[in-house]
Amino acid sequence: MSAQNTLHGKRPCVVIIGLASCFGCQLQITNMEPYLLDVLDQIELVHWQLASSDPLPDDFDIAVVEGAVTTKEAAETLRRVRRRASVVMAIGACATTAGIPGIVAPEFQDHVSAVYGDAVPDAAGSLVSPVPVSAVVPVDWEVRCCPIEGADFVAALQRFIGGSNRLSPTSTLCGECKRNERGCFYGRGVLCMGLVTRSGCGARCPSLGRACNGCAGVSPDANVAAARRMAQEAGIDGARFDSALQLFNSVGECCA
Amino acid sequence: MITKIDVDHVARIEGHGDIHLAVEDGVVTRCEMEVVESARLFESMVVGRPFDEVPYIASRVCGICSASHVVTDILAIERIFDVAVTDRTRALRELLLYGSYLQNHATHLFVFATPDFLGHKSVFPLASENRALYDGALALKALGNELCTKVGGRSVHPICAVVGGFTHEIAPDGYLELADKMEASMDFVEEAVDLIASFEVMDLETEGDFLAMVAPEGYPVCTSDTARFVRAGYDFSAQDMEEEIEEYAIGHSAAFLARAARTGKPYMTASLARINASWDQLGKRARYASARAGLRPPCLNPFMNNVAQAVELLDALDRCSRICRRLAADEFEGTSEPVAFEVKAGTGVGFTEAPRGALFHRLTLDGKGRVKSANILTPTSQNIANMEADMAEVAQRFADAGRSAEAIKLEVEKLVRAYDPCLSCSVH
Repeated sequence: MSAQNTLHGKRPCVVIIGLASCFGCQLQITNMEPYLLDVLDQIELVHWQLASSDPLPDDFDIAVVEGAVTTKEAAETLRRVRRRASVVMAIGACATTAGIPGIVAPEFQDHVSAVYGDAVPDAAGSLVSPVPVSAVVPVDWEVRCCPIEGADFVAALQRFIGGSNRLSPTSTLCGECKRNERGCFYGRGVLCMGLVTRSGCGARCPSLGRACNGCAGVSPDANVAAARRMAQEAGIDGARFDSALQLFNSVGECCA
Repeated sequence: MITKIDVDHVARIEGHGDIHLAVEDGVVTRCEMEVVESARLFESMVVGRPFDEVPYIASRVCGICSASHVVTDILAIERIFDVAVTDRTRALRELLLYGSYLQNHATHLFVFATPDFLGHKSVFPLASENRALYDGALALKALGNELCTKVGGRSVHPICAVVGGFTHEIAPDGYLELADKMEASMDFVEEAVDLIASFEVMDLETEGDFLAMVAPEGYPVCTSDTARFVRAGYDFSAQDMEEEIEEYAIGHSAAFLARAARTGKPYMTASLARINASWDQLGKRARYASARAGLRPPCLNPFMNNVAQAVELLDALDRCSRICRRLAADEFEGTSEPVAFEVKAGTGVGFTEAPRGALFHRLTLDGKGRVKSANILTPTSQNIANMEADMAEVAQRFADAGRSAEAIKLEVEKLVRAYDPCLSCSVH
């Protein structure tokens, strides 16, 4: 894309930042190997700690944030980044729902003591109960799932560059899965979180024989109470349903 | 006079870590690898959760090592439930792990380590300077992703590997296609071994030991329960890992450190440890390339871990192409469909060789298959103590030679990158 085609008449400056995470979403960006340079050509990647030793610059347009906020220091970094960036993009389950790190949010201090006892190393920082990026600063765009799909990241980036107002899907995964015509786990009495999880991934796990674990987070359209009843009718214990729902949604309204 | 050398957030490694060095009147008085990674508390997180969720959760310890965490947890659970899987499932697990070797070693060698030796800050200048090397390196990483995606369903956080087998398999043609690609990339990797061996490194001998999985036959990555301390010269069962390896905490690291309980020595577990333990079991082509590169056991220089990874890449391609052809020809006994099993209480240790070294997961389950307690011991947390000792040695030698603070900093960073630390793994 030539420079004059972009929203601001120049290639947007991008920083990529990792908070508490497995780095898998950043890896998914590098995993676009054949297209990586094409993607990078559209932007000015001014800071990517994973791949380069350049320090965080003062000026940039887009901040891409991976990971959950689990320390006071991370929250402070995020606020500093937000002040400088025009757009904050949260990528992956950790950044959008607190994801797997969020599992320890209920009774957080007990989990800390279970691992470190009374002596939390200074290097671990000032630990706080995990929250998604949006709980600390306003987030403009999200790319969901654990890990993200490289293509979804590129699509979100293009929305900024091209100025698209297209929104992310909010419907539940179940509908997407039905179109794959692979049958339903509930028919076999197997719990599947596709009933309440946001669509957009093409029902990848169910197509590969694995029930949905809900990594995209709960869909705003989901009827959680009805889904729970349906699971119970299929012979699945309500407590089992609740615990599965908690996997990627411990922080937030649906499990509070 | 005190010279302080601080590296805030070492770049081109996985995770967050700072280096703090102090040289007082020519003597290195402080040398710390401060692991500032935020704790996600995985061992406590999985308590109370059903066994089938545990490999899925543990996968999230680390993106690059996700396949290793999944397989290691599955092995721990299968040990508790007495599950005997088919040869075909075992072969697929080996492929999945080797897929992560291709991903990890290609990323580490070309994206993280090589820029140090070519005088770059990142891999990207290579795209214009040496396009063939850049393309070859990324193609190799892409092949690792493809292998993980075809076997595990996704390049990061595999989907299909479950207790007892796999939930999905590709058609036989897919394996043949993979085998063709692997064989076609072996020439590039052979040249890469030579290239990486040509980078000049300091002549260093680590004081510590080496730990690796061993088996009577083969270069094992997930098929043996026996671990060996190579220099001390004794083997132990992975089931006794908590007695044989002592974990301890220090204030400047959010990760626990480790030492061999019997000798009290720190150690290195990595490609170099595996090659020291199982050099004889490398394929012919990899063994020749290794010998040509000057890597023969015992090799005590941690900087040579870069060469060891390149040799392993060559060996992985060789081994995996043969596994793929056998899978396509249906030469392994059984199918990969998950076998039936009964849930029961017990304790088991899963043991694999992750790309960065020995990985142990100890799980204790109750009679309903829920986790009572868990312990994860990653390669990097085992390596940190040894790495700090080697960092101090490197800094001291440079200080003795009257080298500048900047030169010391660069060389210590090079050493850290040679260890290929995964700090997000180390603090889990």
